[in-house]
Amino acid sequence: MQNPTSEVFNRAQVRRRRERASAGYHQADFLKKRVLEDISDRLASTGRKFDRALCLGGYSAQTKEILGPFCGDLIETDFAQGRVGKGGLVADEEWLPFKDESFDLVVSPLALHWVNDLPGSLIQINRAMKPDGFFVGVLAGGASFTELRQSLLRAESELTGGAEMRVSPFADAADMSALLQRAGLALPVSDRDRLTIRYDTIFDVMRDLQALGETHAPAQGLGRPLRRDVLMRAAQIYASEFADADGRLRVTVDLIWVTGWAPHSSQPKPKRPGSAKVSMAEAVGTKELPAGDKAGR
Amino acid sequence: MAELNTDGLDPKLLEVLVCPISRGPLIYDPEASELVSQKAGVAYPIRDGVPIMLADEARELDPSEVTD
Repeated sequence: MQNPTSEVFNRAQVRRRRERASAGYHQADFLKKRVLEDISDRLASTGRKFDRALCLGGYSAQTKEILGPFCGDLIETDFAQGRVGKGGLVADEEWLPFKDESFDLVVSPLALHWVNDLPGSLIQINRAMKPDGFFVGVLAGGASFTELRQSLLRAESELTGGAEMRVSPFADAADMSALLQRAGLALPVSDRDRLTIRYDTIFDVMRDLQALGETHAPAQGLGRPLRRDVLMRAAQIYASEFADADGRLRVTVDLIWVTGWAPHSSQPKPKRPGSAKVSMAEAVGTKELPAGDKAGR
Repeated sequence: MAELNTDGLDPKLLEVLVCPISRGPLIYDPEASELVSQKAGVAYPIRDGVPIMLADEARELDPSEVTD
């Protein structure tokens, strides 16, 4: 078990939120659909079909339809039972219930941003994959919801003299590449896909986050509840600072994409330093100058 | 082990599952609708055909149930 003080999220609360939000969740599910479609593009680009596949977290009724063409058997999980249909299972992304080397493919659409021990989860994902298995994860990260974060912080500090973190801390693409490597995944790649979603009011933004069960769940618990006047002031700040010319509000969502492969002998590997047979100058088609000499005038 | 088709739990799912606490094997008990981990001394419920593989939701085994 982890030291509780090192935890960012209260996982039990994350789960309760997801359970409570299960019923109305499909209305606000447009982002998941887009992510699943993008995952299917990445799967198509590998030119493979994956016999045994796992969709870890982020259970959705659309997953089978969108990813099915690339998969033989597809097992789907979520952290909340209310989201999972028959044939799926409830699993904690921090405590995977799978045998080693079970899957040719693991995808995780919008679930890993709620995990406390991301290195631990990635290590477990690596173990659950067969050699040469493929992993694609997508998580909210980077500057996601920065407008909401800034509006709430400013409104709260103006009106109460103090402020709390009301939007989750996020990982960035650079953090993720390091974590993938640390987890032992080969050919790790991490990139960021920035979306701007537009809303009418701050209340619509917050309503959708609630409908998705994606509201902040800090390990230390939320301190003071958000005061109504603070929320009203935040709505003003949001509308004045982060609106487009037509008055609609911008919401930044940074999707952090991570891909990697379970190590296998067929994959390209870097050569040992000093083992090169061709000089760098030859490789790039230039003339090698002796060290210490000045370049030509 | 009993037959695997009683409440439609997919045998392919059972093939890949282990206990998330002990990483030990699981035994399917169709009467109780549970997946039993002798190694961790707990049983995970199956609700509406969906295994709940969470430590928080697992039932601690009675000493009489532990085969060891």
